[in-house]
Amino acid sequence: MKNFKLSHYLNYIVIAIVGIVFTLLSFTGNVKSLYLLMLENILIAVLLSVSLSIVVGFLGELSLGHAGFMCVGAYLGGKASVLLEGVLGNTLINVIVSMLIGGIIAAIFGAIIGLPALRLRGDYLAIVTLAFGEIVRSIFMNSSKTSFGGSFGLSTPRYDKDYLFIVGFVVVLICLAVVQNMMRSKHGRAITAIRDSEIAAKATGINVTKYKLIVFTVSSFFAGVAGVLYSFTQYNVQSTNFSYNYSIEILVMVVLGGMGSINGSIIAATLITFLDVKLQTVLTGDLAVLQDFLYAIILIVIVIYNNAPGLKNFREGYNLNVLFDKISSRKNNPANIQDDEASWHRVPSKIQIDEVLSTKIQRDPTASIKPDKEGK
Amino acid sequence: MSKKILAVVLAALMLVSVFAFAGCGNKSENNTIKIGLSGPLTGAASIYGVAVKNAAEMAVAEINEAGGLNGYDFELIATDDAHDSKKVAANYTSMLDEGMQVSLGCVTSNPCLEFCKLSLEDNVFFLTPSASNDDVPAEANAYQMCFADGNQGKVAAEYVNGLGYEEIGIFYKNDDSYSNGIYNQFKENLDASIATVEASFDSSNETDFGTQINTLKDCQFIFMPIYYTPASIFMTQAIGKVADDAIYYGCDGFDGIDSAEGFDITTIPQKVSMLSHFDSNATEGRAAEFINKYTEKYGKETLNQFGASAYDCVYALYNAMKQAIENGKEITPDTEASDLCEILKEVFQGGFEHTTGVTGTEDQAIAWNEDGTVVKEAVAYIIKEANA
Amino acid sequence: MEFLETLINGLSIGGTYAMIALGYTMVYGIAKMLNFAHGDVIMVGGYTIYVILAQTGYPFLGLAAAILFCVLLGVAVEKVAYKPLRGASPLAVLITAIGVSYLLQSSAQMIFGSAPKMVTLVHINSINIGALQIEGHVVVTLISSFVIMLLLTLFVKYTKVGRAMIAVSEDKGAAQLMGINSNAIITLTFAIGSALAAVAGFFMLLKSPSLTNTMGAMPGIKAFTAAVIGGIGSIPGAMVGGILIGIIEAFSLKSAAIAPYTNAIEFLILIVILLVRPSGILGKKRREKV
Repeated sequence: MKNFKLSHYLNYIVIAIVGIVFTLLSFTGNVKSLYLLMLENILIAVLLSVSLSIVVGFLGELSLGHAGFMCVGAYLGGKASVLLEGVLGNTLINVIVSMLIGGIIAAIFGAIIGLPALRLRGDYLAIVTLAFGEIVRSIFMNSSKTSFGGSFGLSTPRYDKDYLFIVGFVVVLICLAVVQNMMRSKHGRAITAIRDSEIAAKATGINVTKYKLIVFTVSSFFAGVAGVLYSFTQYNVQSTNFSYNYSIEILVMVVLGGMGSINGSIIAATLITFLDVKLQTVLTGDLAVLQDFLYAIILIVIVIYNNAPGLKNFREGYNLNVLFDKISSRKNNPANIQDDEASWHRVPSKIQIDEVLSTKIQRDPTASIKPDKEGK
Repeated sequence: MSKKILAVVLAALMLVSVFAFAGCGNKSENNTIKIGLSGPLTGAASIYGVAVKNAAEMAVAEINEAGGLNGYDFELIATDDAHDSKKVAANYTSMLDEGMQVSLGCVTSNPCLEFCKLSLEDNVFFLTPSASNDDVPAEANAYQMCFADGNQGKVAAEYVNGLGYEEIGIFYKNDDSYSNGIYNQFKENLDASIATVEASFDSSNETDFGTQINTLKDCQFIFMPIYYTPASIFMTQAIGKVADDAIYYGCDGFDGIDSAEGFDITTIPQKVSMLSHFDSNATEGRAAEFINKYTEKYGKETLNQFGASAYDCVYALYNAMKQAIENGKEITPDTEASDLCEILKEVFQGGFEHTTGVTGTEDQAIAWNEDGTVVKEAVAYIIKEANA
Repeated sequence: MEFLETLINGLSIGGTYAMIALGYTMVYGIAKMLNFAHGDVIMVGGYTIYVILAQTGYPFLGLAAAILFCVLLGVAVEKVAYKPLRGASPLAVLITAIGVSYLLQSSAQMIFGSAPKMVTLVHINSINIGALQIEGHVVVTLISSFVIMLLLTLFVKYTKVGRAMIAVSEDKGAAQLMGINSNAIITLTFAIGSALAAVAGFFMLLKSPSLTNTMGAMPGIKAFTAAVIGGIGSIPGAMVGGILIGIIEAFSLKSAAIAPYTNAIEFLILIVILLVRPSGILGKKRREKV
């Protein structure tokens, strides 16, 4: 295991540990049911944001129709689970089979939507994906009462709420494994190459068509799976829940997490869902109008703090990394130079002109001229 | 590297601690009987949720002022679901954590379908003021204060069958389960000899009905199973297009149309009538009393049948509990929701009648069928006669 | 006859969409950002008209006040929420725009409550051509949006400031080097966009009396669709796209069977048009540089 890098597996380990801790706690009855519910929501949000981050963060295409894929998964997977309930009952096998069905159908739709992505770029593609999401929603909304319930919603079985989150953890781990391995392989590098310059990528012989389709298919597969998981957290799946607003909410998670950072997406999805549910359950009665107000202010402040070029110096002076540096007081020890500075998700997409002009000397000048550790 | 691990481990620890041990938190001081409610307090449907919350709050305050139930005060927990069924589970669970013993369910139908199943799990009794979907009262713990959609559609169809029109217009909202529920049953029960001209709209397009008015403009009778806000817009825009001697006919959703701010129904030349359980223009009796009290406290803006129905719900629950106590049952703030549910089910199934309702009619008490649907008189109100 | 009536309804819907789309396209063309809060500025304009109308009774004073207030709001929002992000990823700006949209909506509910406000503006007499009746507001909306489109085109093409706008939209950095104050130009664009939104709010109230805090959301998205169909960044394109969407909407609402799928049909047509012409009907094709 010469090339084993703990940092590559850290997120699996952390998620698995959190999952196990919660499983143990819930078996001993130490977790409030509201928090189990929140956990389910968080896991769904994590699935959605990780799957969207491949399209937005790695392929560099803006998609506003992620909720549409989720809708396909929720309705078709949900319908499958209703039909299977007669045969399999509300069991784990039913959950797995439904997830596969919902995921695969969503993936097919993803491939179909990936086709215009070959021809359209940027905001034009964004509006096409938004249009797709609304079309899907509209079709389910107007379905007959016996097929998908129409405006009355589709009644689906709800899986035991004490255990569903365990399924969620496993699915998130599988999703992470697929996405992370894909992105760390040569395919992932090809995808980021397309993001940075499609023409250059083509020139180096990368099959742009193939990779774009792959990205859309994988991304929508997991969105579909998240949809099925969602249908198992609900008694009633309703198409109004999958409007473009929901797609935007997922996009917010991806952007807040940092473009092209899977771990960032996971953390942002967790925090935003937590914030959502907290605001919703704490601000009741007359205070309810404050929910969106606070959410909006928090959103604006975080985005500006994280992204404003003018705040760059401030950010670098006061952030968690600096805090940890101070705690561990290893700042000036050359032996502790970060060796994963150039790891795959840190590659800057484009060098901005103003960035070049205002480049600051790095905190640790030895970082760029450090000797190779292996001594090659 | 180790710095990173430290960071992640710390973050994970924080997360776990925030979540898990909150379960050990002690309940707040508990000497009130808690009623839960989930409704759209924000968003496009908020007018209905706010009306219900206001009226329920008012009823609770009145009951408490009068000494409460056996000395115990009522308390309303009103949570916001923004008419989104996704949010219901969290609302329900957090209300349960706060000690909800009995509930008013959800204000709107779609979220309420989710609420029904959730409340069945813990056997929480609920009496919804306004979630009128036919499937809402399906379970034993679920009761409605409003008429079920299917029934309304059927009654309306029977009424129209007797009027002798050859062709009528229908104007409904195609992505709303209230409107669809009435529309479906109406169509089913309408005589086959009556032709229909139909037009619909959806929530993305609720303010401009030019095209639909064009479709419906030759109809002498237009059935509108929709809420009063879009209905008032339709009527305003249809002035001079739909014949002046035509009739607009609606269901209980029409209620409030004559008190909507900024909309003067007398400017509408056509006759407007509805079949409803509440008359927001009542000038005498209990309904008028409620209207006065409500407008004094919250203004006329949000006055509609939703609020009236919620007011009745709280009082019906109060009366039912009082009756149970008279029958030797014990109801205190410590009563478990599930036990209270059994007590209330027994009362409601045992011929309980709510005699002081502001909805329904003055002399007929409100009662409930075995299936949880309400029995009260619907009155055909003529909101406005045609201008001569 | 029936066909003509539906067509006129379509023009009436389309006129408003065109008006909103003009604002969208201006801001997109110059600041290169999707201003998701644009629809909510319309709502703010609507409420301003409502307040002034209730106080004074003059609808046109309301319109003037709405334009003024929306311009101030637009500039303030631009300074506080968008300007600090100039130079950051366009997606970051998109997210703050969404935040601003939520902020405006919830503020409106806090101030004005949840009940819809009914506003009756001036009544404009209808015009009769034979048996065909065209409502006054349709004519007013269409003519005004056409005139505004024309003025905007002339402004952008023939004035110094307008040409500076084109320069900024082509290349912000180069424009700056040529002595154009890019920041001022972008602020000006937001001011114009917000003024257009206020006018659009006036037209919406002219047509339909109801005013709610979510009134701008869906028209905003539809108008965005219209701007993209027309070729986003193109001023005449926004007009064409808006009218087209309006006509499609009217015809699909006309038939009871298709009406529930109105949105789906509009979006489907959008996809088809973009597949045939990837940069919209009147959009300029940009060659990608290596």
